Amino acid sequence: MLKGFWRKMAGRTTSPPGVSWQEILWSWLGSFLGIGAVAVGHYVFFAGTELALILGSFGASAVLIYGAPKSPLAQPRNLLGGHLLGAFCGVTLVKLCPWPWLAAALAVSLAIAAMHLTRTLHPPGGATALIAVLGGPKTGYLFLLLPVLSGTLILLLIALLVNNLIPSRRYPEFWL
Amino acid sequence: MTEAEGREFSLPPGLELTDADILEAMQEIPGYLDITPQDFKEIYLLAYRHAWKRLAREQTAATIMSREVVTVTPATPVVEVVALMGRRGISGVPVVDQERQVLGVISEKDFFRLLGAEQPNFLALLATCLRTKGCLALPIKQKTAGEIMSAPAIVVRPQTSLQEIANLLATRRINRVPVVDEGGRLVGLVSRGDLVRALGPGEPRC
Repeated sequence: MLKGFWRKMAGRTTSPPGVSWQEILWSWLGSFLGIGAVAVGHYVFFAGTELALILGSFGASAVLIYGAPKSPLAQPRNLLGGHLLGAFCGVTLVKLCPWPWLAAALAVSLAIAAMHLTRTLHPPGGATALIAVLGGPKTGYLFLLLPVLSGTLILLLIALLVNNLIPSRRYPEFWL
Repeated sequence: MTEAEGREFSLPPGLELTDADILEAMQEIPGYLDITPQDFKEIYLLAYRHAWKRLAREQTAATIMSREVVTVTPATPVVEVVALMGRRGISGVPVVDQERQVLGVISEKDFFRLLGAEQPNFLALLATCLRTKGCLALPIKQKTAGEIMSAPAIVVRPQTSLQEIANLLATRRINRVPVVDEGGRLVGLVSRGDLVRALGPGEPRC
């Protein structure tokens, strides 16, 4: 039984092929505009306040929705559902659990389970859950609206525009 | 991969992948598969086409040719040639000399032409026959294989790839090709039927 354990770690295939320079360009452009939009929005409307429009996990979402738009993990359902579930788990666990290390572990793991259950798996959602616990936004469930929902909607809008204006791309692959 | 959307995707009938096939297959694998069913379908079809092309390139006449080949000699009377072809149900026969060197090929098409059919098919021949007084075959009744064969013969070597043979049959509009060794001696025959059995009806459209 243990022999398989080590053998499995050796891997069994190669990484997929790299992308063309054009794809790299489009990924760069989309993420620059998407994160740019959220960042500008944040600094114009919310700088110096307790509220935020931008979140660290948005960088991870940018990788997916601008860098790998064909991935099932990058679709709108996943983007919105994943972040919202992660935020909900994080905020809830901060309220319920007095030990930060436990709250952190539970927030991320429960967020992943919830994302799997709802078919909204989105890696940045796990990041949002962790940020909600560790980063300590003091706004409670308002966090789900600002920055999570509003920020991701801006990212999504830019993704819909940029990815479909590019001839070789289309987005999304599915809504539901 | 929007550039792929304009093309027609198709596999040999029976191998058409439905979305349900793909989804059921994905469900058999535990764990999350980071690919959409549509992307998987596109990869499958493209990979299948690559595999088909590789097969056509790598497989050779030697792998699929018939080695027991019905032949006639240049001196064989036409009457005998036709009787032989009819008996064996074959539509073409190589003409070989004593050293088994391929001198030419006699096929159904040759007979259609010699008997004055407007098109190389039976009914066209019958039409000519119905319009003609006397026997259509009179001009060739007394001839020998050597006198009516198509020569020189189009031949291939045992190491010729299936891809080349397929192109040859298509561009020269022939249905079979003799396989010869370096001395021009007959070692086998590849027919259109042999190709279809090996590769299927044709290159998958993709």
